[in-house]
Amino acid sequence: MTAQEVRLCGLLLREHFGEVVEKVGTHLLRSGAQNLRTIIHETGLPLDLVKKSLCVLVQHGACNFRSGRKGPGCPTEYQASGDRILRILRYPRYIYTAKTLYGDTGELIIEELLQRGHMTMSSTVKTVADRLTQNMEEGRSMDYSEVTSAFSKLVETQFLQRCPPMGGARNTKDTTPGTPASTALLTPESFPDCYKVPHITLIGRGKRRHSSDDGEDQKSAKKAKMDPETHGDEGIYWQVNFERFHLHFRDQAVISAVANKLDQTCSEIVRTMLRMSEVTTSPSATCTKPLSANEIFRSLPASYNILRPILDQYLTLLVDDPMEFVGKAGESGGGMFVVNLHRALANLARATLESAVQERFGSRSARIFRLLLRKRHLEQKQVEDFAMIPAKEAKDMLYTLLSQNLVQLQEIPKTPDYAPSRTFYLYTVNQLPTARMLLQNCYKTVANLIERRLFETKESKRLLEKSQRIEAILASLQVSGAEPEQLTEVEEMITAPEKQQLESLRLHINKLDSAENQVDETMFLLEAYVSSTATSTA
Amino acid sequence: MSEEKMEREIDRRIELCQQFPHGITDQVIQNDMPHLEPQQRAAAINKLLSLGQLDLLRNSSGLLYRMKDAQSASKMKGSDNQEKLVYQIIEDAGNKGIWSRDIRFKSNLPLTEINKILKNLESKKLIKAVKSVAASKKKVYMLYNLQPDRSVTGGAWYSDQDFESEFVEVLNQQCFKFLQTKADMSRDSKQSPMVQRNSSFATSHEVWKYICELGISKVDLSMDDIETILNTLIYDGKVEMTVIAAKEGTVGSVDGQMKLYRGVNPVIQPTGLVKTPCGLCPVFDDCHEGGEISPSNCIYMTEWLDF
Repeated sequence: MTAQEVRLCGLLLREHFGEVVEKVGTHLLRSGAQNLRTIIHETGLPLDLVKKSLCVLVQHGACNFRSGRKGPGCPTEYQASGDRILRILRYPRYIYTAKTLYGDTGELIIEELLQRGHMTMSSTVKTVADRLTQNMEEGRSMDYSEVTSAFSKLVETQFLQRCPPMGGARNTKDTTPGTPASTALLTPESFPDCYKVPHITLIGRGKRRHSSDDGEDQKSAKKAKMDPETHGDEGIYWQVNFERFHLHFRDQAVISAVANKLDQTCSEIVRTMLRMSEVTTSPSATCTKPLSANEIFRSLPASYNILRPILDQYLTLLVDDPMEFVGKAGESGGGMFVVNLHRALANLARATLESAVQERFGSRSARIFRLLLRKRHLEQKQVEDFAMIPAKEAKDMLYTLLSQNLVQLQEIPKTPDYAPSRTFYLYTVNQLPTARMLLQNCYKTVANLIERRLFETKESKRLLEKSQRIEAILASLQVSGAEPEQLTEVEEMITAPEKQQLESLRLHINKLDSAENQVDETMFLLEAYVSSTATSTA
Repeated sequence: MSEEKMEREIDRRIELCQQFPHGITDQVIQNDMPHLEPQQRAAAINKLLSLGQLDLLRNSSGLLYRMKDAQSASKMKGSDNQEKLVYQIIEDAGNKGIWSRDIRFKSNLPLTEINKILKNLESKKLIKAVKSVAASKKKVYMLYNLQPDRSVTGGAWYSDQDFESEFVEVLNQQCFKFLQTKADMSRDSKQSPMVQRNSSFATSHEVWKYICELGISKVDLSMDDIETILNTLIYDGKVEMTVIAAKEGTVGSVDGQMKLYRGVNPVIQPTGLVKTPCGLCPVFDDCHEGGEISPSNCIYMTEWLDF
């Protein structure tokens, strides 16, 4: 883990779980796998705090444990996974996707699971139903069966998966007696029942929570946790399948790129192709399974009634496009077509790099950058000639790009002594290392944005506290039925400039938040590209 | 007596030379006038050489004597040997011209002499100096009536050794507009997609004709020049190119291929990273929490937040 990644993980942990967890988490990230005693010793925290933090981390899947490397009988070692912590940044995007695909019910299910980490199906259903009922009008409530069906749909499309059972205890569904359960980190997919919905008996409706029942409900909620009503799915915990969401985001990126480059109909065709191969393609495949033109024609949405020959023309257009989103894999069935996923990702990553250079250094530097990406190695004179930029300016821009490490210099000597006057100096751009560098910049940027947000909040802490107190007073006055004059009196306790300050603070925080999400989109593209090259070269 | 004989020999020699415009060797003269002694022959030849009517050349089999053009003979009448030598060297350099230092090497004359001779020749309008575009201080000399080579002047994009960037920019935009309007027209025509795409293509020949008709260029532009401009548009990411095989003889085809250009839209919107101040920050690498430059006191962020 690089320093920037550790810093970002620390900030995310601090925001979501508090400083203690941050301390333990960053320590584990920096030092790798360690056992409990070492963690306590090095962080200086008391034992029970460390235990609780580790519990929190394990609950959210950010930390794994296994028995020590030195053999059985060694204390268990804990290892934090930075990738999982970085996913916290992407939670809003997951929730939004679930909302667009499965409506409010799906959104709340995903939200609950993200908040709790692991949960059983029954408890999820109950909580979600209660929340939905809360927002509905009086007299209506949410039926458990609706929520259950939404849950099963999410499992069918593999957005949710079962957590791998731990340590051989309790009822495991798989039977591999030979495997000691803790020598290797098992992925959820290695269990055959990963996506099987258990049969639960859960009949009822969501309960509306009234404000007067606050105290009672909290007690009963606690009691429910202590005393579970059996619904037939004890021990089966579910978690969100991030990989599936990532595949979905990747598909969306490809579709929108096709829509930008070509037109709407082409993007619909590509969307159909990707939808058909959602569950048949493995996550790290270079391209989808070949689909025949007949199948595509049959699966197109009914609203797009285009004729068969027109579809063939569109497919030919897609294949001929220089971006190579779609490739032809054979002639049977009217032509077999595949979507080239890795190539599409590489093109998208390249477009990201070019756009970053363009915005930062100007369109002429972007011209030089694209020129070098295309032509690989060029001398300085050739760069000036091809880009049609005057020599002085071209030199200046090349040196700026070189100092920012976006462009590299390759020396080719003519003589065994590397005399500068007798060496060729060629400029070149390597896409993969540059993408990695930009990814690290993204991490640093998000960390900067979060820190700025925390700083702004800290600056206006006094003001925020005051406004919160006033709101609390107002609320209590309203409930107890006060007169309007009293309300206005209380409201005027906040002066106008303070109100303005609060307003601008709110705007700032919103802006910083949305900026974090935007940078996260770039991060996702670059991470997907880097991991796709890693699998294809491995 | 011998003087008259000399005169006769010289005339004889001139006649011989005129008979053989390519030059006569010593052998031929001997055959012609066998009664002459070698000394007299040599003296006559020297006299003709000094008069500037004979050219001494060497070929594989020996020395050749050639009659000089009456015109060029008159040109060099007033000059002396050194100037003639320098003039010869410059003439040999042909189109590309030759640098003064190279003249010095070839003729082994001191620099001051060379400069004097060059000034002399320039005033007689026999040679001219052309500034090279590669190194702006260097001057190359070539014969007065020769057109300087492209590599020296830089071609259509240079006027007086200055790269005309505005000219290039204007051409760039014009070509792009032409291709873009073509693409938009084809998209609005609502025909089948194949026809749409094909009609949005333009060959390099069409673009060349359009630019010529626009008349924004004072210099005549060739199709290669237009192709270099279109290549810069490709490097800007606004245009894509395909090559198709074309019948020999169709307008604009080169070696049986044609290049087609088409305006395209960008693949993605500007990426998220550059929408934040950090993505464009010039001091990004110096920024640390708790330092002089940090996210908490970043002025770029303050400006951006208040925007």
